[in-house]
Amino acid sequence: SFKAASGGTGGAAVGAPAMPLASPLMGGLNKKKKPFLGMSAPLGYVPGLGRGATGFTTRSDIGPARDANDPVDDRHAPPGKRTVGDQMKKNQEDDDEDLNDTNYDEFNGYAGSLFSSGPYEKDDEEADAIYAALDKRMDERRKERRELREKEEIEKYRMERPKIQQQFSDLKRKLAEVTEDEWLSIPEVGDARNKRQRNPRHEKLTPVPDSFFAKHLQTGEKNTSVDPLQGQFGGLATSFPGGLNTPYPGGMTPEAGELDMRKIGQARNTLMDMRLSQVSDSVSGQTVVDPKGYLTDLNSMIPTHGGDISDIKKARLLLKSVRETNPHHPPAWIASARLEEVTGKLQVARNLIMKGTEMCPKSEDVWLEAARLQPGDTAKAVVAQAVRHLPQSVRIYISAAELETDIRAKKRPYLYGLLVSFELEEPEDARIMLSRAVECCPTSVELWLALARLETYENARRVLNKARENIPTDRHIWITAAKLEEANGNTQMVEKIIDRAITSLRANGVEINREQWVQDAEECDKAGSVATCQAVIRAVIGIGIEEEDCKHTWMEDADSCVAHGALECARAIYAHALQVFPSKKSVWLRASYFEKNHGTRESLEALLQRAVAHCPKAEVLWLMGAKSKWLAGDVPAARSILALAFQANPNSEEIWLAAVKLESENNEYERARRLLAKARSSAPTARVFMKSVRLEWVLGNIDAAQELCTEALRHYEDFPKLWMMRGQIEEQSENIDKAREAYNQGVRLWALEKMPYYNLKMQNLILLESVRLEYRAGLKNISNTLMAKALQECPNSGILWAEAVFLEARPQRKTKSVDALKKCEHDPHVLLAVAKLFWSERKVTKAREWFLRTVKIEPDLGDAWAFFCKFELQHGTEEQQREVKKRCENAEPRHGELWCAESKHILNWQKNIAEILVLVASKIKNTF
Amino acid sequence: MSYMLPHLHNGWQVDQAILSEEDRVIVIRFGHDWDPTCMKMDEVLYSIAEKVLQCPSVKNFAMYELYDPCTVMFFFRNKHIMIDLGTGNNNKINWTMEDKQEMIDIVETVYRGARKGRGLVVSPKDYSTKYRY
Repeated sequence: SFKAASGGTGGAAVGAPAMPLASPLMGGLNKKKKPFLGMSAPLGYVPGLGRGATGFTTRSDIGPARDANDPVDDRHAPPGKRTVGDQMKKNQEDDDEDLNDTNYDEFNGYAGSLFSSGPYEKDDEEADAIYAALDKRMDERRKERRELREKEEIEKYRMERPKIQQQFSDLKRKLAEVTEDEWLSIPEVGDARNKRQRNPRHEKLTPVPDSFFAKHLQTGEKNTSVDPLQGQFGGLATSFPGGLNTPYPGGMTPEAGELDMRKIGQARNTLMDMRLSQVSDSVSGQTVVDPKGYLTDLNSMIPTHGGDISDIKKARLLLKSVRETNPHHPPAWIASARLEEVTGKLQVARNLIMKGTEMCPKSEDVWLEAARLQPGDTAKAVVAQAVRHLPQSVRIYISAAELETDIRAKKRPYLYGLLVSFELEEPEDARIMLSRAVECCPTSVELWLALARLETYENARRVLNKARENIPTDRHIWITAAKLEEANGNTQMVEKIIDRAITSLRANGVEINREQWVQDAEECDKAGSVATCQAVIRAVIGIGIEEEDCKHTWMEDADSCVAHGALECARAIYAHALQVFPSKKSVWLRASYFEKNHGTRESLEALLQRAVAHCPKAEVLWLMGAKSKWLAGDVPAARSILALAFQANPNSEEIWLAAVKLESENNEYERARRLLAKARSSAPTARVFMKSVRLEWVLGNIDAAQELCTEALRHYEDFPKLWMMRGQIEEQSENIDKAREAYNQGVRLWALEKMPYYNLKMQNLILLESVRLEYRAGLKNISNTLMAKALQECPNSGILWAEAVFLEARPQRKTKSVDALKKCEHDPHVLLAVAKLFWSERKVTKAREWFLRTVKIEPDLGDAWAFFCKFELQHGTEEQQREVKKRCENAEPRHGELWCAESKHILNWQKNIAEILVLVASKIKNTF
Repeated sequence: MSYMLPHLHNGWQVDQAILSEEDRVIVIRFGHDWDPTCMKMDEVLYSIAEKVLQCPSVKNFAMYELYDPCTVMFFFRNKHIMIDLGTGNNNKINWTMEDKQEMIDIVETVYRGARKGRGLVVSPKDYSTKYRY
């Protein structure tokens, strides 16, 4: 087909013949006469230049095909470089030392200086001066004659060709006669053109409307109608646009009726749909197009140079529709990604293929393509994902190995793949395969271990022995062997195996790394092999530690084990530590705290029994034991423990008081009384007296209490709590004067001795109380000034700051709280104040956060707990309320203004913490 | 057969001819009608073309180095399309193309390349050995 020369427009008109003899080919067609044929060129026309063409050079021996005045190829060259001549000049300037023959002249030598590259020295300068003088002299010799001659020549030339200026000189002379007015009144030329001519409009192009076509079709010949059901898309595609371009080609069946453009568009869509659905439903049996073949076609359509944009667009569109109609067809995704890759849109390609992996996760090819397209680390991640989806695909493992760079890493994917494939097999087959694998690859620990896992006990032992022979330097085999023995009940073997492991590993030159072994032990613990874990810890724990660091390091190890959740490990470490340091109280304490937190009651009690046997002087251990028993409800056992404790520490105040508490809490007041009497006689301390007084007081024996108090004060008259109690008792019996007297005396005595030490705290409290006094009296101004002064005096007092925040008006509270936090950011009172502030602003989550912070920083502050509890009662769920109460009980707070008022009240003396908490919380009024 | 083809008599006409076509390849044969090489070439060109422009004697068309008895050049949208024929001169065909089909193929290649915006196309056939012995 000869499409090229005619430009592919079919039978379009061709130019008219230049000569009278017309070609028969052109004869019958509609002629468009070329206007330029037969015309002569404009004067001085340089062929080619008119259309901006540039020449070329193929045969340099003939010389350049370009004239010096020709423009250069670069159309936007700077001025001075715009013609070929300029460029050539520049080239010549560039190479100074052009010793070409063309530069040589018989007389003058080379055109430039031969020595221009050398340094310019003094003798050069002298020579130049001499030459210059010579030139000047020669110039002056005939100067007059020469100048005269030049002048004559110019005059002669001017006579022949006068300048325009000279031609008009006679007329110009008359200009002298023109007056100023005349000169000014010369009319302007003006623009004679009309507006349209002056402002030429741009050409407007409007698409031909459909109605135009329709009209012409009605009047002229008719085109074929378009039947969407015909399915002859080839015919549709060619006949119609052709018909529109060359309006009425003959030979088509004339047909009446209108041409509906909208219908044509619909028909096209229908056809495309039909075609694509034909492609997709290969199941229904109606397919004409093989999807695979279709896609291959699409693949072959992808241009290699990315040159033809329309091709790419078409391919993109087709692939898109394939993807949409059949998203679970992997080749569509791959082909799309490849197309984008070829066109250079790598990111789009990656996105596409990742989407493909989502749609077709079971297609190996898609995964491989994704791994290929992604860069480095992402590719590894993709492969990892692929392995998860297709654990049996060999090609994915291979590609994973290819992604790794060093040899060791390369091995890993293969190995992993092998193991996975074994796991997927029937155990029997896997065993056979693995035994072959270990033969081939005896240095791979993983394979040995996998084989051992699959074998029976007897065989596994054999396998592990063999493995040990092959790899004498790996500890995992030993540990696995130990686990195996433990799992089969040979606990006594475990110890032996671990010991042998250490000796044999040492013999083979392996350094025993304590951390690694401890880690292994933790893993054993997690796997449930307790005995192995303990054996490992026992064997390894002492290795590589200095004598004096032992205790310290072990405690740290135990803590880290607890943090990792390996409780058995920690227990083993403590057990070992206790064996080495049986008389260290601190180790016993830590171990018992560990048991208390993580162990059972039985284990704790057993441990404490051993502990008190070793350190009978440690009261805390005794008390812990007693408390554990008591909490379990076993009061007689607690009593017996305390009795034993008395034997060990006969005069211990702590134990006495613990015993009293035990009795009084269990309502055995008589026993408690007797105990206290005994205590008073054997260990008459202030606290014992105080407790005795209190017991009487709370039991309502005021007289006895007063008696005891007087007696106590005889012994300990500088004990402030006794004086306070006395005052309170008097107050309660409404003897105000006596109470005041008691307080006064107490203050006097106490002030004498302890005043200097309590200075700062006292000051804070006094300042606070003075501020409150004024506030209560309703003098807000004074209270504010007092507070400002107080804060100047004690800028680090949290209580004052907390009070100051709520003294402010509502809008200023926030800034004040920020100031307070700046000054004392770790003060529980300030944190509590901030929490309350948020609470008052109904910022519930933030308030909760700050409450939590407060109780974390100072769990002993009862007020904080009470506020928190109240807050949760108002805003929290039941779960949260319970949580707060539980935590409060664990924290056992004892301080705080509001808290103490309730907890120390004699009516509440037997209440537990949860009850007090609720009580305090209910007393709080949130009026801020 | 040169009288069958439109003639361009001066450089201006050549330029106008090149400028006048929007979407067709312009094939111009530079040379004299009486030249035997040109005659053979014209025979081929005529037989394949509805339209080939020829330029008998534009002596002053300096930029195209017209030293040969017969030169055929291709233009598309005022752009000189070079064609790699294997002879070393990519600018033009300066010998007689005897085979009709070969000429058609070359023109077709030129058209396809030019439509894609290329300035240089590769001839379907290598003429280096054939032309030089």
